[in-house]
Amino acid sequence: MDHQDEPTGRGGVETFDARSPSRRRFLKSMGVSGLAAATAPAWTQIAQASQASPEPVEPQQDGAPAEGEQQITLTVNGQQHVLNVVPNAVLLDVLRLRLGLTGTKKGCDHGQCGACTLHVNGVAVNACLSLAVSHDGDEITTVEGLASGDALHPLQQAFWEHDAYQCGYCTSGQLMSAAAVLNNPDIDSSDAALREALSGNICRCGAYKNILAAVQDARGRMEGSS
Amino acid sequence: MSDNIIGAAPKRIDGRLKVSGAAPYAADHLPEGTAFGYGVFSTIASGEITRLSLDEARRSPGVIDIFHHDNFPDLHRSPASFAEGNMVEETRLPFEDNRIYYAGQFVALVVADTFENARAAAYKVKVEYSESEAIANLDQGVAAHGTEAGSSEHSRGDPASAFDGAAQRIDVTYTTPVETHNPMEMHASVAQWHDGQLIIYESSQGVVMQKGALSKIFGLTPDRIRVESPFIGSGFGSKLWMWPHAVAASAASREIARPVQLVVPRAQMFTTTGHRPETRQRLRLATDGNGRLVSLRHDSINTTSFTDRYVETCGSVTKSLYHCDNLSISHATTRVNRGTPTSMRAPGAAPGLFALESAIDEMALKAGVDPLAFRLNNYAERDESLDLDFSSNHIVEATRRAAERFGWQDRNPEPGSMRDGNEIVGYGMAACNWEALKFGCEARVSLRADGSAYVTCATQDIGTGTYTIVAQAVSDVTGLPLERITVRLGDTSYPEGPLSGGSWATATTLPAVAEATRNAIDQLKSYAVSSRGRFSGVDAGELGFENAQLVHNGERIDYVDILSAQRLASADGRAKTSGADNEYSYRSFGAHFVEVRWDPGISRLRVSRVVSAIDVGQVINEMTARNQVEGAIVMGLGMAHFEATEYDHRDGRPVNNDYAEYVVPVHADQPELDVILLDYPDYQFNEFGARGIGEIGTTGLAAAVANAVYHATGKRVRDLPIHKEKLMDDIPEARSA
Repeated sequence: MDHQDEPTGRGGVETFDARSPSRRRFLKSMGVSGLAAATAPAWTQIAQASQASPEPVEPQQDGAPAEGEQQITLTVNGQQHVLNVVPNAVLLDVLRLRLGLTGTKKGCDHGQCGACTLHVNGVAVNACLSLAVSHDGDEITTVEGLASGDALHPLQQAFWEHDAYQCGYCTSGQLMSAAAVLNNPDIDSSDAALREALSGNICRCGAYKNILAAVQDARGRMEGSS
Repeated sequence: MSDNIIGAAPKRIDGRLKVSGAAPYAADHLPEGTAFGYGVFSTIASGEITRLSLDEARRSPGVIDIFHHDNFPDLHRSPASFAEGNMVEETRLPFEDNRIYYAGQFVALVVADTFENARAAAYKVKVEYSESEAIANLDQGVAAHGTEAGSSEHSRGDPASAFDGAAQRIDVTYTTPVETHNPMEMHASVAQWHDGQLIIYESSQGVVMQKGALSKIFGLTPDRIRVESPFIGSGFGSKLWMWPHAVAASAASREIARPVQLVVPRAQMFTTTGHRPETRQRLRLATDGNGRLVSLRHDSINTTSFTDRYVETCGSVTKSLYHCDNLSISHATTRVNRGTPTSMRAPGAAPGLFALESAIDEMALKAGVDPLAFRLNNYAERDESLDLDFSSNHIVEATRRAAERFGWQDRNPEPGSMRDGNEIVGYGMAACNWEALKFGCEARVSLRADGSAYVTCATQDIGTGTYTIVAQAVSDVTGLPLERITVRLGDTSYPEGPLSGGSWATATTLPAVAEATRNAIDQLKSYAVSSRGRFSGVDAGELGFENAQLVHNGERIDYVDILSAQRLASADGRAKTSGADNEYSYRSFGAHFVEVRWDPGISRLRVSRVVSAIDVGQVINEMTARNQVEGAIVMGLGMAHFEATEYDHRDGRPVNNDYAEYVVPVHADQPELDVILLDYPDYQFNEFGARGIGEIGTTGLAAAVANAVYHATGKRVRDLPIHKEKLMDDIPEARSA
């Protein structure tokens, strides 16, 4: 397997064929610091490893739908996709399996854990409870769309600095819920209000103390910058 | 060694991947041509499959194949040996025969071209059963066929006689329910075969162990199997060993010659991936006239499955926490129609210390001694079960410091006496304890000409921060900043590393990483003093290594220049370190202090404050370590307050196997947490002085809650979880069986 080998100096991440899902998966599978270790020629670039951002998603443009399928248009993280989906396809699975946006996680399939939280037209929803066909024309933001380019969202930065996770599996849902909560003027800024508002997002590792601290910290950063 | 990176609080080196959604977990892998599996699971707990009707499912769109007991390929069982490295908890293979041993057992696996098609077809599989009477719980198991004597027993002195002649005695029984790990990430396998080699992405706490088990099950030499688990959505023990889904996915992939992704649905995370078993524990304690323990007996029974025997060693801590000349522990099991239990965070100790530390509270009250004073008066000074000194034990300091921080001195001992408005405040405490373990480990470190260090070890980071502390260990030896250190874990291609469990990954992995780093430096020195080297002619033994530079008589040369001068790619080191010795008893210690608030008017019970002091030796990363203890306390809070997998006593089926009705702590349940990390390095145990930190925070917490609830309400709840229903006066009987 070439990803264990010494750097080959054959070029940067962007030269890989982004259209090949298997290639993308393969790169994603390389784990921490994988991309830079395989490609970066000098230690100054190694920092990129832990700075890796999710890979860009190619716009999906399906042709005429087959029998039993329905064509929908989704705008995900600003990118428009035309997709043919079956009626029982769930939004979460379409994003993960069709578009490769695996940052949104499946934790229960029943809207009970919050791991799949994302934004539909600015509103936080559980993507596991939502059929894809009901989102024709919707604007969707996932965790991959939270950062601005290489600049992390203040919530992401605060989560990192406060160690507001352990395993990281609930993290994208916590982030997306928190982003919605901080934009909601009906939820006051007290710790108690925040705890109530975020209680739909389970963290089985129990990092609640740090998540709360991170969200409050991010609130300050966002207010400071606006 | 630089002394500032060990014990510091650098943020995680993999943190950006986690907050950006880029960290790849098992089911995020989707190789070209992946097909999707979806399971069909038994709806009875005991009996046989009499008929499978597959026609409708086979006609469903996109179906590739359907596997079941009549067509599943012949495989072998794993010997299930920890020592051999092929441990599994459930030894029965999926689809081995038509027998049903528990509800939620795999009875078929549908594989289709898309996830939607697989799920739709799975719903169309019709299964007919011949149902036999299920053994639904511990009481039914004991009534039906009694118990089997367990393992890990211990006795000393004559506890029965000492009990009979003692001044004060208690004889009490505690029960704990089935708890389910419920990591956020459901178990998942993505299996693919290339030229007879199996490559599987798995959510695993032990890739090496899974490789060993798959090797036995598929009859392949280990070099034909690769298990990868770069990120795992935690496990808490449920992912220590491989479960049937991974075998099913691997076999299906080989049969259809395509990669197969199989995710265990949340409902089956309660049935076919292990759980903490139900326990019944009898505690008999006695003291002399001075409040000193003179007899202690801890006898437990736990449920196990009909296919395998799992022993929950509830007395594992009891035998060494307190000084007592007359002591015995025993562990028996009884078989029920449930899946095979497995280790869940602090196995044995978590339910065991609920019972022991509740009983100590009861004993102290019976003896008329403050529970804090009673413990300080009775803590063991050496391990009397092993007849060994503790390598390092600061439980007295931990207890005193936590008590002071908590304000135990303000406690009015009278139950129900402390009021705050409508609420009655209760204070309770308990000791916590966990064995420190360390196993053999291999690691490889390269100091590369590009200025980086590259570390590989086939252990895992399950959310504990292993990636980061491995980098800290390399930084400690080399002086390299963390940004220049690349850490790769969770892949059996790397040197063999430990399971991530039992709080032993840190103590096991870091010495191997440090040794491999030193060996890489030695190789670098040998290059430097060779005829073409920058220190040609110098004795390698005279070369120092500081801050990534070789040093000799004041001359300093960066290791990159040493390598570049000879056009060398890297200097490499491997290491293989051994497990713990038997010179000492290695354990971690601590104490929890808990405040509960009970509002009898609206029957509201909550834990409002926890202060814990933990003595785990050297802390490697102050931020991730604190997070571990805080998270363990939250899990202990769930155990105390909420968690119980309930089974219908009529047919053995789980009734709350989902994430809404199996209640776990959420943000709103979070108490104020204050964790004190004592930080006394234990250099008897390893060069870093670290004993590990994952389990201990969970132990004792439920007892501290129960003791605080007693103090608030005067009610002694001996049956977990402590639902408020058990505290309400007008409900005649608690819900327990």
